[in-house]
Amino acid sequence: MIQLKGIFKWVNSGGNRVFLLKDINLTIKEGEFISIMGPSGSGKSTLLNVVGMLDDFNEGEYNFIGQPVHQLKEKHRAQLYKSHIGFVFQAYHLIDELTVYENIETPLLYQNVKSSERQAIVADILDRFNIVGKKDLFPAQLSGGQQQLVGVARALVAKPKLILADEPTGNLNTKQGTEIMELFKQLNEEDGVTIIQATHSEKNAAYGSKIINLLDGRVEK
Amino acid sequence: MFKNYIKIAFRNLWKNKGYGLLNISGLAIGIACAGLIFLWVEDEFTYNHYFENRDNLFKVKDCQTYDGTTYTFDATPGPFAQGIKSEIPGIQNAARTTWGNSVLFSLNDKPIYEQGLYVDAAFLSMFQLQFVQGNAQNAFNQLNSLVITETMASKFFGTDKSRDNLIGKTLKVDNKENYTISGVIKDLPKNVSFRFNWLSPFKIYKDQNKWLQKWGNNGVVTYVEKDPGANIETINKKLYNYVEGKQKGATAKMSIYPMNRWRMYDSFDNGKEIPGRIRYVNLFSLIAWIILIIACINFMNLTTARSEQRAKEVGVRKVLGAGKRKLIGQFIGESIFTSMVATFFALIIIYISLPAFNSLVEKQLVLNISEPSHIAALVILTFICGMIAGSYPAFYLSSFKPVSVLKGIKFVPSGNAGIIRKGLVVLQFAISIILIIATIIIYEQISYVKNRDLGYNKSNLVFMYLQGNIKEHFEVIKNDLQSTGFVQNSALSNDPVLQMGSNTGDFVWEGKDPSKQVLITVEGVSPEYASTMRMQLEAGRDFYPEGKIDSTNVIINESLSMIINKKNILGSTISQGDTKYTIVGILKDFVYNNMYGPAAPLVLFSNKSNCNVLSIRLKDGVQIPAALSAMETLMKKDNPGYPFDYNFIDQQFDQLFKTETLIGKLAGIFSILAIFISSLGLFGLAAYTAERRTKEIGIRKVLGAGLASLTYLISIDFLQLVFLACILAFPVAWWIMHNWLYDFEYRIQMSWWIFVAAGLLAIFIALVTVSFQAIRAAVANPVKSLRTE
Repeated sequence: MIQLKGIFKWVNSGGNRVFLLKDINLTIKEGEFISIMGPSGSGKSTLLNVVGMLDDFNEGEYNFIGQPVHQLKEKHRAQLYKSHIGFVFQAYHLIDELTVYENIETPLLYQNVKSSERQAIVADILDRFNIVGKKDLFPAQLSGGQQQLVGVARALVAKPKLILADEPTGNLNTKQGTEIMELFKQLNEEDGVTIIQATHSEKNAAYGSKIINLLDGRVEK
Repeated sequence: MFKNYIKIAFRNLWKNKGYGLLNISGLAIGIACAGLIFLWVEDEFTYNHYFENRDNLFKVKDCQTYDGTTYTFDATPGPFAQGIKSEIPGIQNAARTTWGNSVLFSLNDKPIYEQGLYVDAAFLSMFQLQFVQGNAQNAFNQLNSLVITETMASKFFGTDKSRDNLIGKTLKVDNKENYTISGVIKDLPKNVSFRFNWLSPFKIYKDQNKWLQKWGNNGVVTYVEKDPGANIETINKKLYNYVEGKQKGATAKMSIYPMNRWRMYDSFDNGKEIPGRIRYVNLFSLIAWIILIIACINFMNLTTARSEQRAKEVGVRKVLGAGKRKLIGQFIGESIFTSMVATFFALIIIYISLPAFNSLVEKQLVLNISEPSHIAALVILTFICGMIAGSYPAFYLSSFKPVSVLKGIKFVPSGNAGIIRKGLVVLQFAISIILIIATIIIYEQISYVKNRDLGYNKSNLVFMYLQGNIKEHFEVIKNDLQSTGFVQNSALSNDPVLQMGSNTGDFVWEGKDPSKQVLITVEGVSPEYASTMRMQLEAGRDFYPEGKIDSTNVIINESLSMIINKKNILGSTISQGDTKYTIVGILKDFVYNNMYGPAAPLVLFSNKSNCNVLSIRLKDGVQIPAALSAMETLMKKDNPGYPFDYNFIDQQFDQLFKTETLIGKLAGIFSILAIFISSLGLFGLAAYTAERRTKEIGIRKVLGAGLASLTYLISIDFLQLVFLACILAFPVAWWIMHNWLYDFEYRIQMSWWIFVAAGLLAIFIALVTVSFQAIRAAVANPVKSLRTE
């Protein structure tokens, strides 16, 4: 599903070239649950952003479900991630001015899903995540765990093949974190959604089927 | 999707009420301002639209050339209308009218002066007057018939049922004959070129003024209705030499001038049409747009300044699949929504301020929100504002890269946005400063001209048009007036001093270049004229009190004596035709007709026969109300049956500056609004800057910075912008006002202090606006502000 070949990413700071990613080679198959581990600044988020096509890379090849991402124009790339990738963030990144319902609905709006269909899909997902009672609340009225639940629901609503989660439990307490991780596991096993998560925690990493360790932008063997 | 945008827009506004208030109030004031101006402009552009046939209606213009300069008049010979109607193809109808006559009507013992016209019967049908009683075909069948407006009808006959049939009723005219009412018409609206309350057959006027029969005398206005298919050029070609063909030596070259241009143009310079009122209409349309743009700039600035708060939302939306175009759509949608709210408030502002605005511009504008064209204008205005105001923020915000926003890196606004924002503030203030300078200069110019030494004393000078037997009993009336103790002197003249109507190119004198005609104003006066007006003699003598001695003597003005330019002008003669006149006196130039130019050459005759005006000089320092009531009592006794209808010269004089005064007032109001809206924006920006720099201020304070230095720190950035605005505004303002003043022959020099004053005013206002925020930030407790980081 995902093939990364010799991916390099750097920034120029002063006269020096600082490498954020160095020669990353990765193959990820559909249905895998990958945990990326590493200390702060090791390039976990950068790698996720590259995989999620939110960020560019300077060198290398990236194939996503058979499409050569490195050759695609911005517009096509956006089209690609829009329809196949869902994002979950450490800081949830819900839109404060929208209710739970509207937050979850937003990706569908951008994919021009019809109104009646939208209602059905969102209702479905609210039901599944047990947050029907909260659908008219605003993010600020929810606990962190609840917000992240909405975040995951929103990432899933457009039925993506891949979920990218950048420290999804970083802002949560242990109990809330465990719930989210259980949810991921369930999604992976029952729905066959491919998941890549970046995490600090050994315990959370263990949920994955495979762990990749990063250090200074390099994959540790 | 759209619903979603509106929802977000509304919630955003609600969440940031203060900022929303700044945005909406600025925009609402801008839109209200523009709305009022556009109502005024609409009224100007629909002038004369009451006449559905206006495309085929014309006024006859008369061009006469003297000494290489062509003058354009509305005056035509009496037989002209009848002549062209029968002889020139393409002319369907032609009608003569007088210039406007104030006539005393009375019913029983109720005398009222009413303004009206003597017109040919064709006038009634050409202008499609709407008869409520009677009809256009038969109205003028009898000689002494009278068509009156509903307003005039109510004045005499009340508004009850008895008014419903007035045909055949009579009104006494000038305390002599009875005129029979043959028609009642609907009042004409205010925005047409005609002002009359009654119409009577032109023949009445013609019979009283036999001189009108001659082709060489231009004394009436002629209106023409052409065949819809007729070509104007063809008609004008035939008209050009038409009068000359009737009377050899007549200089008047005629042409027809379309009704659609009467209001906006109808000014001529050397025979060429030049823009008249259209210049002011265009100017104010421009100002309306400028004020709108200033208001929109506020919106742009405040929105981009707050972009940090929206950055996260943009990032998230992009990650969720929003394309750039959808985001642009969203932000423009939001600004259109804001603009809709602003338009709603603008309508309320317009509704409240319309009466005041109407009395200022002397119009009867109505908001009339159900009118399709008004709805369309509002919708367009709202959308234009929304688009202008939302465009830049939309492109700016939608260009954020999601990854940099979402990484949690503190968002740093790009340098471009800052520069554009500063540029826009400079633009706003530059426009405001230009308006302030313009206002000051317009007021200076008006007061300069008003305070000009006219060459006579215009205060305490009353004038009235002759009614009844004033002329015949002038000596008695004069003595009686003086014996009231209020009046110093009084005199008769053909015209009021501000508008001397008659001129001629016929005078010759020894040494005059025979190839050149000099246009000279001629005025018949009673001997007391110069002393009553308090004009000064340059040389020679005034007329002798017994006018007859001076029947072949004239007094000329300085201008004419310069043109004659020879030694011993006193005692020399000028002649008109076979009649010779001896020059016995030279008057110092006094200003008449053209308030801005030098006095044109003038000849005064001691001749009361055509006098039409009585001027009364009150003694200095008298109580005006007492004087007026004494004069009224006396006039009732000496001239019974006529109400005492008077005017003050200085009030009439002020009327001459109506347009300029109005423009001064409007410019003043708009400059205040412009600077107010600009200040609203500055206030918002300063608040935002203070907020952003809270931490810096906290640190500086901990390090020992005082209130003054902190206030300076925040304020100086903005003051620099206003200063820059001054530097930009000064040359532009100078250039604009230089061009404006150039149209006036008698004008002020622009002095540097005006510019400095306008600049200081702008800086002061900006300082007050900004320092309020700066001081608030500076006095905040640093511990608190540092903890927030």
